[in-house]
Amino acid sequence: MNGDLQPAAEAIQRRQFIKASAMAAATAVAGGTNFTLPVLADEPAAGVQWEKAPCRFCGTGCHVQVGVQEGKVVAVAGDRNAEVNKGLLCVKGYHVGAALYGKDRLTKPLLRDGDRYREISWEEAIKTIADRIEAAPERFAFYGSGQWTIPEGYAAQKFMKGGLSNNHIDPNARLCMASAVTGFLATYGVDEPAGCYDDLDECDVLIMWGNNPAEMHPVLFSRVIDRRSRREKITLIDISTRRTRTTEACQHYLEMKGHGDLAIANGIAHLLIKNGTYDRRFVESFCNFKASDDENPNLHGKAISFDDYRKSLEPYTPEYVEELSGVPADQIRMLGDLFGNPKLKITSLWCMGMNQHTRGTAINSMVHGVHLLSGHFGTPGNAPTSLTGQPSACGTVREVGTLAHALPGGRVVANAEHRQQAEDFWNVPTGRINAVPGHHTVKMWESFCTPTDQGGDIGTIWVQVTNPGQTLPNLNKLFNPKGDNKAGLEDKFLIVSDVYPTATTRLADLILPSAMWVEKNGVVGNSERRTQQWFKMVDPPGAARDDCWQTIAVAHELFNRGMAGMKDRDGQFLFDVKDENDKSVPVWDWEHYYDVNVDEHLFEEYRQFSRLKHKDLAPYSEYVKARGLRWPVVEIDGQWQETHFRFSEGFDPYVEPGKEIQFYHSSTHDDRAQIWFHPWIAPAEVPDDDYPFMLCTGRVLEHWHSGSMTRRIPELSRAMPGGYLEIHAADAAAHDLRNGDKVTIESRRGSLVIPVWIDGRGQPPRGTVFIPFFDETLLVNDLTLDALDPFSKQPDYKKSAVRIRKV
Amino acid sequence: MIASVVATLAEVGDAFQAIVDEFADVPGVEIGDVGNDARRVPITIDSPAPNALEEVTRRLLECRGVAFVDVVFVHFEDEPESQAAANPGEMDKS
Ligand code: SF4
Repeated sequence: MNGDLQPAAEAIQRRQFIKASAMAAATAVAGGTNFTLPVLADEPAAGVQWEKAPCRFCGTGCHVQVGVQEGKVVAVAGDRNAEVNKGLLCVKGYHVGAALYGKDRLTKPLLRDGDRYREISWEEAIKTIADRIEAAPERFAFYGSGQWTIPEGYAAQKFMKGGLSNNHIDPNARLCMASAVTGFLATYGVDEPAGCYDDLDECDVLIMWGNNPAEMHPVLFSRVIDRRSRREKITLIDISTRRTRTTEACQHYLEMKGHGDLAIANGIAHLLIKNGTYDRRFVESFCNFKASDDENPNLHGKAISFDDYRKSLEPYTPEYVEELSGVPADQIRMLGDLFGNPKLKITSLWCMGMNQHTRGTAINSMVHGVHLLSGHFGTPGNAPTSLTGQPSACGTVREVGTLAHALPGGRVVANAEHRQQAEDFWNVPTGRINAVPGHHTVKMWESFCTPTDQGGDIGTIWVQVTNPGQTLPNLNKLFNPKGDNKAGLEDKFLIVSDVYPTATTRLADLILPSAMWVEKNGVVGNSERRTQQWFKMVDPPGAARDDCWQTIAVAHELFNRGMAGMKDRDGQFLFDVKDENDKSVPVWDWEHYYDVNVDEHLFEEYRQFSRLKHKDLAPYSEYVKARGLRWPVVEIDGQWQETHFRFSEGFDPYVEPGKEIQFYHSSTHDDRAQIWFHPWIAPAEVPDDDYPFMLCTGRVLEHWHSGSMTRRIPELSRAMPGGYLEIHAADAAAHDLRNGDKVTIESRRGSLVIPVWIDGRGQPPRGTVFIPFFDETLLVNDLTLDALDPFSKQPDYKKSAVRIRKV
Repeated sequence: MIASVVATLAEVGDAFQAIVDEFADVPGVEIGDVGNDARRVPITIDSPAPNALEEVTRRLLECRGVAFVDVVFVHFEDEPESQAAANPGEMDKS
């Protein structure tokens, strides 16, 4: 009897202990007192080992404490020591551990055999990929991700550009933040935000330009709301095409039509000049003016004078801006007055709304421009800041440069000096790197979906850590042009490394099971330039293996076959990794992959590039100790110190004394930023008699992007089970629609049958509808347009003309 | 499922105690010590129901004066294994 009672008593004691720990953590976070979770590990009843890792999901980059017991993740807690989230997590973050344990994890390599798959060995899988590459290396493309860790992306980048002399490597981040990159480059000559999340704690006014942080970056938004609950005065302004959860918390909601943001930015600049409230000293000291060069379109445009700029803005009166944007003239004046007030600290935030835009580069530059023109720049709380959706869109895509035109460290393949630097760092022969940029995402997939004899020059694509079968625009053209009939495309071959079956694996020829998150080592970079590291904590299921290992194993197979590109100048393997005794470790053999820390080796090699454009990274060991560090990280008096605000004296170690503000990568080589004029231009597709509604797509709080992980988490799936069409009540009444009714929604590119949610999670205005893209059974990207921004090559997912019909 | 959350209150003035009492009526929750800082309330959730956390979070959010509910800690070891919501490819399309 005793034997029966004792386990029960232990279970109760253990439960009480866990509950006490949960309360202690919440009390510490609520009250701001100190509390560290590892105390749990000291308690024998717990038996849980705690280690730090960044959350797997969004670009906010919260840190979690991961509790592991008997080889399994059993608990997750917000990391109290993390500056980003100060112990808090959002609904997705607290379920991040469960994302590992969906029951349909991919555990074996699978090779298509007619309309079935057969299990194959890793050896056969690696040989199959090597065969495809060896047969036609120039027809091979790598499609990666802002979820690639920095070492994974770096290995893929080196394999392609430094090994195969092939620049057809591009990431899914092309689809979400490429216009932010070109906006930063056009303005400052160098990518990524000057400010950081500290601006959210300091600003008096926070303007959200077409984004919904309450759902997409919830912990950041909670940080802002917390200020208000402490009775700090902060004005929140939501400029958006539909009401969202963010709107509910804002004092001002400015409802605009698609592309209205272009007019609004011009309207603010117009008022600043007309009212004489622009910051003349800041502009004269630190800025130039630019406009697009229509005769020779290029990212850096042509120089114009202040007078030219002023004249270009003259038509953009508040009344004209109202006409173009739908935002009342009084609200435009309010924005003009706020920016014209030098006593206020103003931070702008944006994400997909400004990036997924056929004038994405322009609107990004213009929002930087109103901050520069008004002098709301360079001091804490005064910052234009773009956010990213993926955990390493910044770290892996923008910094490692896994884009078709780029090299690590802000270098580009088209520049001979840049190529030489990379060839030297990689110790590969001069001339190894191809000078011609590869295909950007849309072009890559268009080419893959075009028969070879009709010019489709991509024959094989290897996809890692992303789901293009759901997230590319215009899927009937760019992913599945022939439905299930592959006629004319029989020679094409799709390889997909992933953790779960997805809309992409459905069409794959070879499926590779990958390790995810704390099943492997990792380093990522979040939206505020913060580089974050973690160690492997649990084993991946079955035969799932690290993506980085997969790349190295294929490279070594090609090396064994004598492919010259897989050798460096000394004839050594491109990914030769040495142990502490300077002895090469066969890391291409899975049995030996974790004999050394491959991540550390790749990171230290990559770190050399980081210094080329003042994005200096600290040694790997510093990130092991920290909850991330914001670059540039420089060593001062033996301490590695991060940078909160770039280009600003007293904060940025690269600003020369006495300069106050120094844009040291200025495209005009005079330490100045560029203020751009761009005219308002209508969206690529607008509603008409045939397609009278404007469709916007986006995300929801519960699901992360295509839902391939979060839909496996029962709690999240129950909370938001499926896709829906959000519609205004009056439009629903006009079509005789009630909640749950099904409609056929059609665009010029495809159609979908979907249930209706009147005024749903958000509230679209009349004439517009919204569909989230997380549901793979309701592929909204069958409808979306693949029109691109001319410079960033990023498509516009927010403005497609559609019609609806009750089923 | 054992979890803890912090509810952040908007300006609530004298209604503070009434709001905390309202929290206490939500099944499965226990209110922690709010100390002197009466704007962030620590709360634990202890429930065998697998969706207790989101249900309680939703109910807390519906309480007056609540601006935000953040999660701090989750222990899901005692839950049945997380399951795929079936293969999404085979999901009910409704
Ligand atoms: S806000 Fe983003 S990073 Fe933070 S817990 Fe939520 S999903 Fe994770």
